[in-house]
Formats: sequence, C-alpha cells, structure tokens
Amino acid sequence: MSLGGPRFRLTIATALVVCSGCALAQNALDLDGHTVNPLATDTNKVVVLVFVRRDCPVSNRYAPVIQKISKQYEDRASFWLVFPDKSESPQDVRKYLQDYGYGLPALRDPGHVLVKQGRVQITPEVAVFDRGRHLVYDGRIDDWYVDLGRVRPAPTTDELNEAIRAALAGKAMAKSEVRGVGCYISDLE
Amino acid sequence: MLHLRPGISSWLRGAGWTLLLLAGAGAVGRLSGRSAARQSSIAVAPAVAPQITFNRDIAPIIFRSCAACHRPAEAAPFSLLDYSDVKKHARQIAEVTQSRAMPPWLPEPQKLKFADELCLADSEINLIERWVEQGAVEGNPADLPPPPKFVEGWRLGKPDLILTANTPLTLPPSGTDTYWNFIFPVPIQKTRWVKAVEIRPGDKRYVHHANILVDREGSSRKREAAPGAGFGGMEIRIESQVFDPDSHLLFWKPGTVPYVEPEGMALRLDKGTDLILNTHLQPSGKPEVIQPSIGLYFTPHAATKLPMLLQLENDVKLDIPAGQKDFLVTDDFTLPIDVELMAIYPHAHYLGKDIQALATLPDGTKQTLIHIPHWNLNWQAVYRYAEPVRLPKGTKVSLRYVYDNSEENPLNPNHPSERVVAGNRSRDEMCHLWLQMLPVNFDAAQGDPRMALQEALARHNVEKNPADFEAHYNLAAMLQAKDKLEAAIGEYQAAVRLRPEDAAANNAMGAALVAAGHPEQGVEYLQAALKARPDYFEAHYNLGFALAAQNDFESATQQFSLALQLQPQDASVEANLGVALAQVGRFPEAKSHFEHALRIDPNQRIAKESLDVLQKEMNSH
Repeated sequence: MSLGGPRFRLTIATALVVCSGCALAQNALDLDGHTVNPLATDTNKVVVLVFVRRDCPVSNRYAPVIQKISKQYEDRASFWLVFPDKSESPQDVRKYLQDYGYGLPALRDPGHVLVKQGRVQITPEVAVFDRGRHLVYDGRIDDWYVDLGRVRPAPTTDELNEAIRAALAGKAMAKSEVRGVGCYISDLE
Repeated sequence: MLHLRPGISSWLRGAGWTLLLLAGAGAVGRLSGRSAARQSSIAVAPAVAPQITFNRDIAPIIFRSCAACHRPAEAAPFSLLDYSDVKKHARQIAEVTQSRAMPPWLPEPQKLKFADELCLADSEINLIERWVEQGAVEGNPADLPPPPKFVEGWRLGKPDLILTANTPLTLPPSGTDTYWNFIFPVPIQKTRWVKAVEIRPGDKRYVHHANILVDREGSSRKREAAPGAGFGGMEIRIESQVFDPDSHLLFWKPGTVPYVEPEGMALRLDKGTDLILNTHLQPSGKPEVIQPSIGLYFTPHAATKLPMLLQLENDVKLDIPAGQKDFLVTDDFTLPIDVELMAIYPHAHYLGKDIQALATLPDGTKQTLIHIPHWNLNWQAVYRYAEPVRLPKGTKVSLRYVYDNSEENPLNPNHPSERVVAGNRSRDEMCHLWLQMLPVNFDAAQGDPRMALQEALARHNVEKNPADFEAHYNLAAMLQAKDKLEAAIGEYQAAVRLRPEDAAANNAMGAALVAAGHPEQGVEYLQAALKARPDYFEAHYNLGFALAAQNDFESATQQFSLALQLQPQDASVEANLGVALAQVGRFPEAKSHFEHALRIDPNQRIAKESLDVLQKEMNSH
C-alpha cells in the first residue's frame, strides 16, 4: 500500500464509509428503547460488554459460563449483554433472556457503536473496560471452541476472568486481544 | 500492483466498490491469511470477472446443500432460506465451507462413491469466498431459483407404527456431552418386517447423532433404574443368545434422509423386541427436553437378502502412551466368501485423527473404502455406498486408525495428556469399523453364508486376542451349529475360563456337553449359569433336560416347572415337563401339561406322541 495509487483510493474509500457510518450511527438502546451508554455508569465498577446473537449457537452455549462469571464479580463488574443484530426486536431479546435464564441487563446495538468501542468482531466476544474506561481486553471468553465444529471437552484458558482481574487491578493484559470463534458481527452490517 | 488501474476505474462506477475495498482492507481474523493473499485478485475482479451474486451463483449451492438442515425445526441453529438469512452469516459460511466443517462430511473424495455425498466442490467453495469478498451482493431477482421444497413432518409419509420415548430426558444447560439410551418396546403381536425407519431424535438441534440397536431379548431393560426411564452410556452392548446377525445400520445424524431398504432387504422385528436409541446430546446453554420418536414402515415381504454387520476392531492394541502423537492401530481380515459391501461405519473417540479402511483384492488391487483425514466424533456417520462394492473371497479388508494423544490434539479429554486404553466411556478410546456386507454367489443348500463370515471373524479375533471372550463364545456357537461339538466345547471352555461367572457361557457350555452325550458334566455348568442368573429360562430348561438324560426325572420336573414359571406359554417346556412327570408316574398332571402344550401349539410333536402313549397307559390301568 505504499504506492500513490492505492493510497489515494484507500483514503477516499475510508472517508466515504466513515461518513455513511456517521449518518447511520445510532446509540445503544435498552429494551424500552432508551439510549444507554454502559460506559458512563457506576465508575466504581469495571464494565464488561458481552456481545451475543440469538442465532449464534456458540453465543448460546456460553450462556451458563457468562452468568457464572458475572455472578462471581457481581459487586465489582457491571455486565451488559449486547445484541448487535438490528433485526432482533426488544421482544425477541426479552424472550431470549428468559429462555436462557439471564438476569443481566441487555442492550441492542443496531448502529454498532459499542461494537466499535469494544473492537469486537465475533459473537460471543467480550470487551472489558477498567474503571477509567480504558479498553483492557477484547476477544474470546476462553478457548473452549477450537473452531466452528470442534469444541474442547473443557477450556484451557480463561481470558475473561483474567481480563476482569487485570481491569480491577488497573493492570494491562499480556494479550489484550484474542479473537473468538463464533459468528461474524460484520455479517450484520 | 500493476493491476490496480482497472480497480480505480471500477471504483468510479459507484459505492458498491468502496464497500468492497473496505472489506478487503479490514479483513482480519479467521479469513485473514487467505483474504490477504487474494486482495490483489479482488482488485482485478470487477474488470475481468462478472459480479458474483446471491441470486444467480450462491442460492443454488445453499438451496441444494445447506437448506435441508438450515430451516425451522431442523438441526441447524439458523435458517438459510433467502438472501437476508445468508447475508447475516456470509463470512461464517465462507469460513466453514473453506475449513470443510460445513456441510458436515468427513470422508475425502474417493473412487468409490457414497450415497448422499454432502461435500461441496472446490469451485463452489471458492465461489462463496469470492462472493463474500465482493460484498455479498444480492443480484438480479430474476436470477433466483425457486426456493427448495421439503416434505413436512414424516419424510416418508405417516409411519405404520410410531414409537415415542416413555420418559423425556432433560438436558442440562451446560456441562459435557451427554450420552443417553432410550428404550422403545415394539408393541407387535407377530413378526413384522421393516423396510424403513425414520428416527426423530427429539429436538434435532441438540442431538448430534442417534443409533438404533435391536435388542431381541430385553437385555437392556435391566439397565434402567425404573421401567421406561432409559439409561446413560456412550457405548452399549446388546446380548444375544442365538446367532442373529443384527444386519442393519439404523443411524441418524443431522441431515439424514430416511432410507428405504433395497429390494429383498428388511429388518425383522419379533414380538417382545426392544429398539434401543443410543443418542449423543450436546448442551445448548438452556435446559432442553429431549423426547425422541421412531417411525416404522412395514412391508408384507419377509427379507430374502440377509446382510451381516461385520466388525473389525483392535481394542486390545489401544494402549496409547501419554503425549504420543501418531499411534497407529491396524486390523486385517480376509473374507472367506464373496460379498457386496453396502455401508461402512467407522468409530473412534476423541483421540482418533486419521481413519482409514482399505480393501486389497485377491489380484492385489487396492481400493480405499473410506478415508477420514480429520476424524471428528461429533460428526460420525454411517456411510452407504452409491453402488454396492463387490469384494470377492480372499479380499483383505484392513483398518488403519491413527490416534493423537498429544497436547496438540485440542479434543484430547485429558489435560495434561494421560495414558489411554480401550473402553466405553468417552474419555476411553475405541477402534471399531462396522461393515454391512451381503453375501453373494453362495450355495443356499450349504446353510446361512453369514455363518462362514462369523466363524472366520471369530477365529481371526481369537488369534488376535486369545483373551477375547466373545470371540471364543461366537466361534463355539458357529462350530456347534456345524455339529462340530467337541471343537465347540473346547471354545466354550475357553470362554468360561475367561469369565467363570458368565451365565450365557456356562449355559452354552452345559448345553453343548449334554448334546455331546455328557449330561453329568453339563449339570455342573448349568448350575453355575443358574447361580449367576437364577431367572435364566434356558438354563432351567437345559438343566431339566440334563437331569432327565441321567434318569433323574424327579429333579427334572422341578427344573422344567421353574422354566415354565418364567415362560408359561412355551409349548416345548410344557411337553418336556409332561414327559418327566409321566416318568415318575404322575400321569394326570402329565396329561394336563401335554394338553396345555397342544393348546399353545397343536403341532407340538412330543406332546402329541406322548399324549397318545399316556392315554393308552392310563386306559390300560
């Protein structure tokens, strides 16, 4: 990309897309349709955004894991489930929360504002912000899934837990980004 | 880079191209390597290749190869029935088709074709990838083929008999995979022949596979905590007293289309038969209720072609040291008769890596029967050949399974790696290959040709593993059927030595001794059989016979009576009890038993003849 031609072309392309993104940008909404910024909440707690899709079987299988970890850090971390599929209605999401026994607050992110802030690409992935709202980690919960179709008997890593502990301690993660296995959020654009 | 000029000119055409550029520039993550390599070709594409569209290029592939499962109430987690469905999973589809995780099809392409092959052509996979890279465009509505049509409900129409699991299983939201067995008693009063079976495994999204086993003797019911409750376990063994080669592979996996047996073939179901549905279930994240059902389609025609399931295995060689990456297990069996191979079903657990079966014909030609280079237990399947494969007598059938017990195998159930041996639990290993074979070119006057196969296989297994109880037992049974009683007794003896408390082996040994004219020796084994299993009908019957053969009719009446309590409607026991009673002078009782025997079976020969003799005897007094 060092030649004049492509740089010219790329610059314009990016600019165009940013513009169209601006026009579409819509903040995250709670299930009653109110704009919510989960990063502007209780600054005593770290924030964990968990990105899921109802039609993503990997997201679904992680439901008990996500709930277990969120309970573990109840008083120190605010967990939010984020649904980036704009076609999922608040009713769809409510039904889903009930089916999977979720007690976590849920947000719809039709404009992918939180997706961009959290730098996530796949469902399920998490974005962990420290108390100063710096992004400490984005990516997979653990390595349970090897790829689509192959699942370990049990995970051998524990990135989400480590990221929360790092965020609480105000430390950085050795690997601040590990991509997950699941469904592409970019397919929803 | 010299190719970029056409790219610029095409950008001038409109916004579609700018999006495409972004997809190229931002392509990170799982497709990254390939995407990066292809970026230069993307830039060329608009000038030299037409736009790939969903309607014209992709929909035919999706409709043909994906939609059967990717639709409501089927196995797949989301539908792929129109553009918006497919667009929402476009990159995921490109990724899983590239890795060949989807459609689920494990075997490598080979000369011998399978029925219902699900794999996509390389050109189709490539087309999907390029379509996604071009921005997953919908295209001209006029190009869209008609939507795929599917039969709703039972695929073959309403079954003649529908069996539903008595007790549903509630699958917990999380945890490891569950293996559960549902028992379906078949409520039929006489023998029926089944030409097709449709397995409805309950919620198809959570059942990875299901296998029907035929239990003709109710042996699985003993494993249930309460009648109808079902029982856990990955691998189950069905006991059979008689040579009854269970010859049909009744298997379901996502995407399975019910299969009608070829002309002349049918599965026999007798009164009292149970069907056992062995299921592999995967937690979904929420509790799921699983209640399978089975649809049976009968035919009035009894089977005339009788295939056999032949199992190659070498579990005794499965002793895989911790950390070992390439552990090879083989087995070679030479066919004693001509057969047609109908279907093949390889089976290993989580350490299985490269699974292969080969046939070496007598002229030295080698044929790959199946090769799965990346074994995945979760997608195990029965593979039927598109055309039966002729394997002449003298063909060597070989299995070659490679196991990976290293840390590099992500599916290794042990972390850190441990020594693994053969066993029934999912963390143990297996080395099995089932082959459905139909004997051909045989002389029916020589008896059931499958017995030659079974005998050769049992002999092979005894040589391979002298501690193989079943092999000795099966070899003995085949020898006994050929009236080679002394040889049979030798093999039963070996079986009893391996499992001194096995009821079936002791009973068979005792019966063989009685048949060979050694009732006094037989009694000891029959008593051992009854000690192991007091409600063992056959052992009471055989012991009665052995005692009668030694003129101990008093004791014989007791054994026949006990047998009769277990199976009150058995004409042959009634007749023998009558004979024993007559021998000790209890004529009126004897008469009533003969009469009862004849009410059950008017042609019961012993009862008929003995009753005549008894009448004369009683009249003369």
